[in-house]
Amino acid sequence: MTLRLSLTVLALLGLQACVTSTVDEVLYQGPEANLGDATVVIMGRRHASDYETEPDFVECVGDHIQRADKSVTVMSELDFMNELYPWFEPRTAPLRPADVSRMMEVEAVQERLRRINTEYLVWIDGETVRTGGAGSMTCGIGPGGAGCFGFGTWGNDSNYEATIWDFTDQEEVGRMSTQASGQSYMPAVVVPIPIIAPVKGTACDGLGNQLLQFFSTEY
Amino acid sequence: MLGSMTTARRRAATLLRLLTAGCTLLLAACANKVMVEGNFPAPVLDKLPVSIGVYYDPEFRSHEFFDAATTREETDWLVSTGEAQVQMYNQLLPGMFEKVVVLSDLPRRDRVDTVMEDGLDAVLVPHVSELQYSIPNHTKINVFEIWMRYRYELYAPDGELLADWTMTSYGKTPTAFLQSAEAAVNLAAVVALRDAGANFAMNFTSVPEVKQWMDALAAARDAANQAEDASAEPPGFEEDES
Repeated sequence: MTLRLSLTVLALLGLQACVTSTVDEVLYQGPEANLGDATVVIMGRRHASDYETEPDFVECVGDHIQRADKSVTVMSELDFMNELYPWFEPRTAPLRPADVSRMMEVEAVQERLRRINTEYLVWIDGETVRTGGAGSMTCGIGPGGAGCFGFGTWGNDSNYEATIWDFTDQEEVGRMSTQASGQSYMPAVVVPIPIIAPVKGTACDGLGNQLLQFFSTEY
Repeated sequence: MLGSMTTARRRAATLLRLLTAGCTLLLAACANKVMVEGNFPAPVLDKLPVSIGVYYDPEFRSHEFFDAATTREETDWLVSTGEAQVQMYNQLLPGMFEKVVVLSDLPRRDRVDTVMEDGLDAVLVPHVSELQYSIPNHTKINVFEIWMRYRYELYAPDGELLADWTMTSYGKTPTAFLQSAEAAVNLAAVVALRDAGANFAMNFTSVPEVKQWMDALAAARDAANQAEDASAEPPGFEEDES
């Protein structure tokens, strides 16, 4: 009986709510056949005053690509920022590919870029927001035990755009975007059971898969 | 009589000092203390052909800010940024200028010995002129922000003020998940210091007075080189050519 109850609770905890996702892609140039030893850098845009691309999302996309194809070397955002300080800080990061050519006039930058051998730079711009919530939940504790009762629900919307820059040619070579939305639920009868919609994760997978098609020969 | 008054005054001063130290210790004991620590990368820049001295005054070296709690639920915050900002500038400046010397004294018109001995072209003195922050006490959400305004003074080796300008910097922890509030405040401060360095490095030569000084320095060097070349030419060189 206890085992059955435990299994039921575990199964309920493993529940996931549905997510709707859309991915769009515009490529100005065909995907590179083979990156060779070159590295790809994925960075988040942080110049807007009202939002910032989350570092964990940028990391998630990088990890997704690296996991799927080990031949693609993804350099971490912070490592790249440190290697090229102060050119990629939120205040100084180039906003257009034309700004890269201005940066390349500095000999020390040219030399550093040659050393780290970065072929492509992917800018991710966007965020995940909570779209509202409803319901209420009450929790209590007494001599007989503790428990919660109620129901809560909330929504999440992810909206990200990735822009691919070619460092060698100093131009934009592609643009892809992903939108995902989902509703999460939390019913509670003694034990709260979260049924979470993995909105951000779905957006990460969607964008990661699109980028893989560009960078990897296996996709 | 005079002697006993002096002794009493000394005792009072000592007592006041002890009291102040005690209060500071008491405040610090209850506060969330953050000694800002971070790794600051060396800048990737073409060095300016300038030898510069830098003087960090004691206030700059030990800069900190204290935020007193206003309610019982809140806690005090004591954030020490001095050491980290000295570390940042010590990493930044050698990547910007051909030669950098950290000075132990400010150049003065009446005493130019240290500065002149090192053959420096100018002395930079940074100050923190303003600091604003938003910590969890204020926002109630996981947003940690620090905004700073730096004032820079650039002195000629003879102590004459060449330029005086301000630059701002801003830092924010994008997320506070899975980290303590102290770590998040530290990260916000490190981001603000990185931003200060980036702003300084990218805009130093755009400051009108600095640009004017650098142009004058380059012109003086050109003139000196030309004079040196002229004096090195063998006598009668022009006649031989003709």
